[in-house]
Amino acid sequence: MTDPVILLQILWTGIAMSSYFVLFTVAFALTLKVEKLWNFAQAGLMGIAFYTMFYTLNAAHWPPWLGVTAAVVLTAAVSIAVEVWAIAVLRRRHSSGLIFFIFTLIFSQLVAFVLTLMFGTEPETIFPSVMSPVRIVGGVAVSDWDLQAVGVTLVLLALLYGLIRYTRDGQFMLAVADNDKLAEIYGISAKRAYLLSGIVAAVLICAGIYLYGTRAGVTPDVPIGLTLTAVIATLVGGLGRIFSAAIAAVGLALLQSFSILFIPAKWQALLLYFVLFFALVLFPRGIPVWRIGRPKPLAPMPVTQAGE
Amino acid sequence: MEYLASAGMLIGIYIILAASYNLIIGYGGLNTIAHPIFFALGAYTAALLGIGTTLPSVVCVLAGIGVAVVASVALAVTTLRIEGDYLLIASLGFQLGLLQLVNNFEFTGGPAGLSNIPVTITGPGRGWLYLLICAVLAVVVVWLIWRAMAGPFGRAVRAMRDDELACAALGRSLFTMKIVIFAFGCGAAGLAGGLYAYYFQYISPEQFNVAQSATILTMVVLGGIGTTWGPLVGAFVLVALPQAITFMQLPTSLVGPLQGIIFTVLVILFLFLRPYGLVGKREAGVAH
Repeated sequence: MTDPVILLQILWTGIAMSSYFVLFTVAFALTLKVEKLWNFAQAGLMGIAFYTMFYTLNAAHWPPWLGVTAAVVLTAAVSIAVEVWAIAVLRRRHSSGLIFFIFTLIFSQLVAFVLTLMFGTEPETIFPSVMSPVRIVGGVAVSDWDLQAVGVTLVLLALLYGLIRYTRDGQFMLAVADNDKLAEIYGISAKRAYLLSGIVAAVLICAGIYLYGTRAGVTPDVPIGLTLTAVIATLVGGLGRIFSAAIAAVGLALLQSFSILFIPAKWQALLLYFVLFFALVLFPRGIPVWRIGRPKPLAPMPVTQAGE
Repeated sequence: MEYLASAGMLIGIYIILAASYNLIIGYGGLNTIAHPIFFALGAYTAALLGIGTTLPSVVCVLAGIGVAVVASVALAVTTLRIEGDYLLIASLGFQLGLLQLVNNFEFTGGPAGLSNIPVTITGPGRGWLYLLICAVLAVVVVWLIWRAMAGPFGRAVRAMRDDELACAALGRSLFTMKIVIFAFGCGAAGLAGGLYAYYFQYISPEQFNVAQSATILTMVVLGGIGTTWGPLVGAFVLVALPQAITFMQLPTSLVGPLQGIIFTVLVILFLFLRPYGLVGKREAGVAH
């Protein structure tokens, strides 16, 4: 039987490590919900955000707050530019999902090649050291990085919840997500909702890559792998359910963490793809467990006519 | 001259990959991006048999085709009941999962790959002889696809792509048709893998990753999806143009990223300037 303290340690480390995973997943799920877009360009945004922080803090020696701000501004600007000059154009043309997929993936590859040219392929971290002070709480090692990661993630998720629940722009985003044509008839600007979701996603991505880059080395190829894990969590959480996707991200991170008790570390990645494949084949609309607790409608829904 | 033969081999291999992928996604309308994994299965099977046995190279390549076909049927049987974006992502999971296996197993060489694939043809004309074999096989694959799609089976496949319900109502077995085109397309990818392994004598998992999926998909879409000549033109343009940079005597560390930048910029330009493909025609009412 494994020592409970070891299990607690794995649980805590898994939760802390899931922080950036959650932020990437929420960013991906938000764009998918509002824009109906499998936005693999977010991998490119991750690369831009990370290397902006890396350059401004290590080469230009800016203070951390300024480097992070620069990364947020630049990433949001690129997100807006991609939306206005590319995605909106494809949307106007009624391009197929395949074209959006190609564009977003190729954009990320272009960014990765440019970053390779500029910074090489050596793994880099935002700060020279990835070590942070550790304290022991009930036998469990808790580092400053862990607390920072969990804290930043919870604050950003709370802010996102507040934005969606209590602001007009947030509710407009949901209206556009439900039916963009109907929302426009009611005077809601779908373009504004798309831009806002892109900017929010950029902020989440910057926070996520900051946490990742202060813990592990990043190369220009790393972001696409991070995006794929976000895709898996989004699918497991169920399309259109942003916070369920976040819970799924934590669940997958814990699954990976605890799997170390049963399988060698090198097989952990395979576990994720296994979950993705079978989740899609068995539950193509998301795992139904996330729907438990959802209130039932008070009155029967009107019957729609065949063909609607 | 050897360099030109290598570039020609790459073009021939990509023509086989793009044409067979076009059969699946262009004619059949099956949105899968796992084509590189069948390319990998063909390459690894041929290479492992070549290294570990004394079987003739032709038999090793045929075995690679067989493994690719079996794997494609396994994928098809489990995933073809889901459609569209879901199939796309499921196929991605299948590809990355299998690649992870290849990456982790020791007998496949792990991340370092296999580098001791035996030489089957020697001498100064090796490159050109390989190129001839590859060109002949590429022509055969393209011709077979063209013949199949020009006949009654091809019309049924296109009908299935355009309206599955109507096609099924006419008594066609959609599942069988999907399996057939999937198996043929993936078998051709296995053939390309065998050729690649024997010619370049080095394979590694990173050659068959998501970037490879994007490359083959891009060749098909930019050439003209659902057309006979589109994938050929797409493969030629997207392999040949980035190769031009190798004549500029740049440091090797710059060549790879610069080729990648040229490739991706070309793709983005073509996506916006020729959304219906280099060979395809703009059709009224059809989204591009």
